[in-house]
Amino acid sequence: MAARPSSYSEDAALSLAMAVVTSSPGPLLLLDGDLNVIAASDSFSQAFGIDTVNAAGRHLSYLGGGEWDVPQLRSLLAATVSGAAKIEAYEMDLRPSGVGARQLVIHAQRLVYLDEGRPRLLVAVTDVTATRANEKVKDDALRQNLVLLQEVRHRVANSLQIIASVLLQNARRTRSEETRGHLHDAHHRVMSVAALERQLVGTGAGDVELRVYFANLCDSIAAAMIGDSDRLSIAVAGAQAVVDARVSVSLGLIVTELAINALKHAFPGGQRGRITVDFEFSGPNWSLSVADNGVGMPADPDQIQVGLGTSIVEALAKQLEATVEVVAARPGTRVAITHTEVALADEASSPVARASGVGRSAV
Amino acid sequence: MTEANQDTAGKILLIVEDDVLPAMALRDEFEEAGYDVMDLTARHQEALAAARARKPDFALVNIELQGRDDGIALAEELKAMGIPVLFISGQISRARSAQSAAIGSLPKPYRASDVVKAVEYLQRHLRGDESMRPPRGLEVFDPIPDAA
Repeated sequence: MAARPSSYSEDAALSLAMAVVTSSPGPLLLLDGDLNVIAASDSFSQAFGIDTVNAAGRHLSYLGGGEWDVPQLRSLLAATVSGAAKIEAYEMDLRPSGVGARQLVIHAQRLVYLDEGRPRLLVAVTDVTATRANEKVKDDALRQNLVLLQEVRHRVANSLQIIASVLLQNARRTRSEETRGHLHDAHHRVMSVAALERQLVGTGAGDVELRVYFANLCDSIAAAMIGDSDRLSIAVAGAQAVVDARVSVSLGLIVTELAINALKHAFPGGQRGRITVDFEFSGPNWSLSVADNGVGMPADPDQIQVGLGTSIVEALAKQLEATVEVVAARPGTRVAITHTEVALADEASSPVARASGVGRSAV
Repeated sequence: MTEANQDTAGKILLIVEDDVLPAMALRDEFEEAGYDVMDLTARHQEALAAARARKPDFALVNIELQGRDDGIALAEELKAMGIPVLFISGQISRARSAQSAAIGSLPKPYRASDVVKAVEYLQRHLRGDESMRPPRGLEVFDPIPDAA
């Protein structure tokens, strides 16, 4: 038969409970069922300027200058006493007179112990004023950054517009057909960068949906260079890839060069045709190709002109650690830019036949 | 240009832009396409005076104008005069927030030829003619209400 606990052990248990509460490093209150304070931790008295000794026996509402007399807190605690609720994280503002408001998070729990007739509540109080203030500072800084980013993008857009306008006016005023061609090419290159900038506006990050970007680019080139859209078209195929802006701008310039080159040379004499831009990726490996179904490359290598476009494609491919491969597609020509970072176990699954080296001709 | 002679109606254009080089590029592009482009303007009152002196059929308005003038306020006054406005500004979110003042927005950086296409498209659109494809980048603010 279990022996009834002696009064000595009851005293010891109570004293232990009081000692635990009093010494809690986080502000803690032990309340009875009527919300009178049984014990408060020293940390509570320090944090909220309340004399712990005088607090004992007082109702919660009379603590300090009465700032704890918050009706909603009272009813939540009463509900917790009755077992109808449990307060996980109740947020409230404490408004002591003479000091600024403090934001608190309250956690309260009815204690389960032998004496069911005398309910006890353990109330933990966390002061989150400083944390919330820091969060606000961070949020404000983030918002400010976004505003600045938008402002910078707006300025970049304006600057690109000025550059594009100067090139266009220059092309319009020049008498030399060749010079005009070069100036229009330069205008296309600027617009290629511009299309990317326009896509980035309104996004906080620098990620680019490549297919959307290529479609914008090709539309823009087609609108400027193709008079009869029934005769020539540019299509964008391939996977939905999201690529960093720094890589995208290079890929966009490569597409621009190859598409312009194909439009200029692949379909002489009003020939009908189609250009297809394709991007595939597999893990870190990717392949960009621009193919046309035109006349193909001249058989005589001496007839192949190496212009600025060729240099741009090769330089950008090198920057992207990719190889350039030109294949006679019969009909037409296909240029593939391939970046291989990891040799895939199954070579056949590679989206593009591996290019053996560089090799390049007329762009 | 023969095209211009055939159809000068609807072709008087007001350009309000504080960056003079893009403004000139637009002027030349529109003139080549047969438009009658009014003298370039860069300020609110100047543009308003020009529009009162000779009512344009269409206006291209940048949002940031010279002397801190605001293109949105100008667009509202032009709209009250019955002149459709296309915003040509890189400030996309400001343009979107002023949808009631303009019928569309083609943000910078644009191709001058796309701006011509945008104006052609919007003029047709206002007449209920949807046969033309809008140029990429054009946001149309003012959908035509159902005729029914």
